[in-house]
Amino acid sequence: MRTLPALLAFAVAGCAAVVQPPGPYPAPGPFPEAAPLPEPAARTENLAIAGLLDGARADAAAGRLASAAASLERALRIEPRNPRLWQELARVRLKQGDYAQAESTAARSNSWAGSDNALRAENWRLIAHAREARGDAEGAKGALETAERQR
Amino acid sequence: MLDRAKFWRYARYTVLTLALLAAGFTFYLDFRVRSEFEGRRFALPARIYARPLELHAGLRIAQIDVVRELQEAGYGQGPREGDPGWFANDNDWLEVAIRPFVFWDGLQPAKRVRVAFEGGAVKAVQDAEGRELPLARLEPLAIGGIYPANNEDRVLVRLSEVPKPMVQALIATEDRNFYSHHGFDLRGIARAAFSFLRLKGLQGGSTLTQQLVKNFFLTPERTLSRKVTELFMAVLLEMHYDKDEILETYLNEIYLGQDRDRAIHGVGLASLFYFGKTVEHLTLAESALLVGMVKGPTFYDPFRNPERALERRNLVLRETKDRGYATMEEYSKARTADLGVNQKAAMGTSPHPAFLDLVHRQLRRDYDEADLRSEGLRVFTTLAPRVQAAAERALERKIAQFDRGKIFGEPGLEGAVVVTDTQSGEVQALVGGRDVRFRGFNRAVDAARPVGSLLKPAIYLTALADPSHYTLVTPIDDGPFVWKSRGAPDWEPTNYDKTFHGAVPLRMALAHSYNAATARLGTDIGVEKVLATIKRLGIERVMEPYASTLLGAVDLSPLEVAQMYQTIASGGFRTPLRAIREVTTQDGRPLRRYALAVEQAFPPEAMYLITAAMQGVVREGTAQSLKNWLPPETAVAGKTGTTTEQRDAWFAGFTGDRLGIVWIGYDDNRAARLSGAGAALPVWGELMAALSPEPLALPKPDGIENVLIDPESGLRADFACSGAVELPFALGSAPAERAPCASALGVAVEGAKQQAKSWMQRLFGR
Repeated sequence: MRTLPALLAFAVAGCAAVVQPPGPYPAPGPFPEAAPLPEPAARTENLAIAGLLDGARADAAAGRLASAAASLERALRIEPRNPRLWQELARVRLKQGDYAQAESTAARSNSWAGSDNALRAENWRLIAHAREARGDAEGAKGALETAERQR
Repeated sequence: MLDRAKFWRYARYTVLTLALLAAGFTFYLDFRVRSEFEGRRFALPARIYARPLELHAGLRIAQIDVVRELQEAGYGQGPREGDPGWFANDNDWLEVAIRPFVFWDGLQPAKRVRVAFEGGAVKAVQDAEGRELPLARLEPLAIGGIYPANNEDRVLVRLSEVPKPMVQALIATEDRNFYSHHGFDLRGIARAAFSFLRLKGLQGGSTLTQQLVKNFFLTPERTLSRKVTELFMAVLLEMHYDKDEILETYLNEIYLGQDRDRAIHGVGLASLFYFGKTVEHLTLAESALLVGMVKGPTFYDPFRNPERALERRNLVLRETKDRGYATMEEYSKARTADLGVNQKAAMGTSPHPAFLDLVHRQLRRDYDEADLRSEGLRVFTTLAPRVQAAAERALERKIAQFDRGKIFGEPGLEGAVVVTDTQSGEVQALVGGRDVRFRGFNRAVDAARPVGSLLKPAIYLTALADPSHYTLVTPIDDGPFVWKSRGAPDWEPTNYDKTFHGAVPLRMALAHSYNAATARLGTDIGVEKVLATIKRLGIERVMEPYASTLLGAVDLSPLEVAQMYQTIASGGFRTPLRAIREVTTQDGRPLRRYALAVEQAFPPEAMYLITAAMQGVVREGTAQSLKNWLPPETAVAGKTGTTTEQRDAWFAGFTGDRLGIVWIGYDDNRAARLSGAGAALPVWGELMAALSPEPLALPKPDGIENVLIDPESGLRADFACSGAVELPFALGSAPAERAPCASALGVAVEGAKQQAKSWMQRLFGR
């Protein structure tokens, strides 16, 4: 569960931001130099999905982004309503520099997220990164604020 | 004598001229042989594949459907040792020896998998050693190609891949002295002449080299001058190239049969076509069959003329044995083998020409036509063979049924079907007309027809996106409606049932497809606003901003309609329809991926509401008859469409996993006297029922609440109200007033009645 500390760190950071009076928040820097996004601890029941997801993450880590996207699309054909897969795809799109797709793919993840607020918050942070990268500071700020509200 | 000297002089000139001409001719031929043979690359068609079937635990698919797909890919009943491409099965499990295949993401080596089935679904997937496998990807079906001139198809092989017995049988039968002659064979010619003189007919005599030259450079007419040219070129070819190069080219060039409009060339493709396996796995008997066919692929066609083909094969086997290439034992074993051919349905250039046409168009945006026809590109598409088969069957059956009624004259009724995946926008099936194998007018893509009521969801969506003014229960007046605009005749839409229905709740106006109510709603909102919604739904065609546009006086193709409904089916995310996933080079290097792309075009709340209203169309509206095919739990959302004089019958609808569009009508626009519900809906129902659809269950967005409503008054109900229905509303938009039946909660009966009355009056009292 190597992802747990990262998640905790983020949760703590989130709390801190809530406690502080409204003011300038730490803007996300250019991706991927910014604070690393936490890896979601997705452990799905479906072995096929798990295998493809592992493959996609390995590919993404090694910079083989097109392969990573292809594996995720394969997984999505099996479980099109799995918000974690959409989120992972949004993350790859962000790395590919396709910010418009990163944002709408994260929104797609949100549409299947149900009551998983942590997942939603993460999607909004991805959207903030994408907007920031496109030079939409105002939009990024709004997205981060929405992320904060997901709890 | 002067004349005599003159004669000799002329003779000398003549000889010299002739010698020069001969030298020039030879030089010219030599140039042609070298340049063309050297630069010659076989033009290879782009090869088009269906989506690969990916088996994993939990996949809903019956074993029979997997077996059918394997058989279509040329897999036979096994087991066969050391030779993949077979399956073996029992009631509960299926074992498959998957052939190696180069996918977009690399080579998948040959492997054996065991798949367990239970209750119409895959229970487990294992490897040969019984270890669990997360996923097994089967070889995709080849569904056609984009072919070079004459529709020549071939799969190139190296000489080293061709089994030795095949080469030996070829040489024994066609050209015994191949390794020793210089392009022509006097003994062969003598033998041919001898047999000609014995009235055994004109036969052979040509070396393999001559045959190659003939196929490669020359036209097929049989004249002496052509024969001489052939001889010269054969000799020249032998001077420049070694025997193996000539033999390899011959094996790849040779014509070995016909599959409808597709010509089978070369032993590589012939092995796959006749035996369903790669050339290196051919036995002596199978090799001999192909060699026998060189002489006349139609005459010795093993499918049409099996006795003749068998006799010819055995003759080849005897020649092979007589030349010492096969032992007596090998010979007698091969002689007794059956033909071993594996007949599949004729495919021609494609069994699904309409889908292939769509693929071809999408490819043309990114590739040169010449490259598509010669570079051997491999194109991985989204076609789902099972869905395509269901779509073809449903359309053919329904149209045959109408034909039997004989109420429709010639030319017959036509139709088109598009099926897509609701989440990814992948086109899973496309049918372009009643003759599903016909390569011609592709109605799914090219027939732009009036869409009628199919446009209505766009009007209601525009309304529902504005919850402060419109909800599912907002009363809409379905009284007579006249639209006056300057410079145009008055527009007075009437209803399908020729009556007007007074005030109806918005959701019912859509469910019953009331024209007057819809026209009033659309003009109240504004035509321009509705057109903007249609555009956002993904329709690129420019529409006239006339009020009549609202009721579908607009021509769209079934594919365009599919794009529009796709956006609704995927919860407001516009997803471009795609028929292609990936393209690679001939040897598997990835060239291009067509990635999944989504774009949020509408807020989830509005989409949730319009989907609920469209589910009402099926539950209690014009598409109620769908219950004859699918249970109510499937909760299909759909819309029927019928145009003026019933020229066009449409149904568009989606389940949780698939969107389908069906159009039925005449090419020449005659009145078909068929309604959307009567003609198009049955095709849709039969098609989807064959595919065990996933129920449609949209995730409820945060901004939506369900409220119990009394259908009588359209007001808030409670459990005291019988017949109350739960309907979704954008937060805060549900009616505040309580219905009369809700008196149990302490609201005075009279008070509620008064309230209701005044509320109705406020809306309709004008």
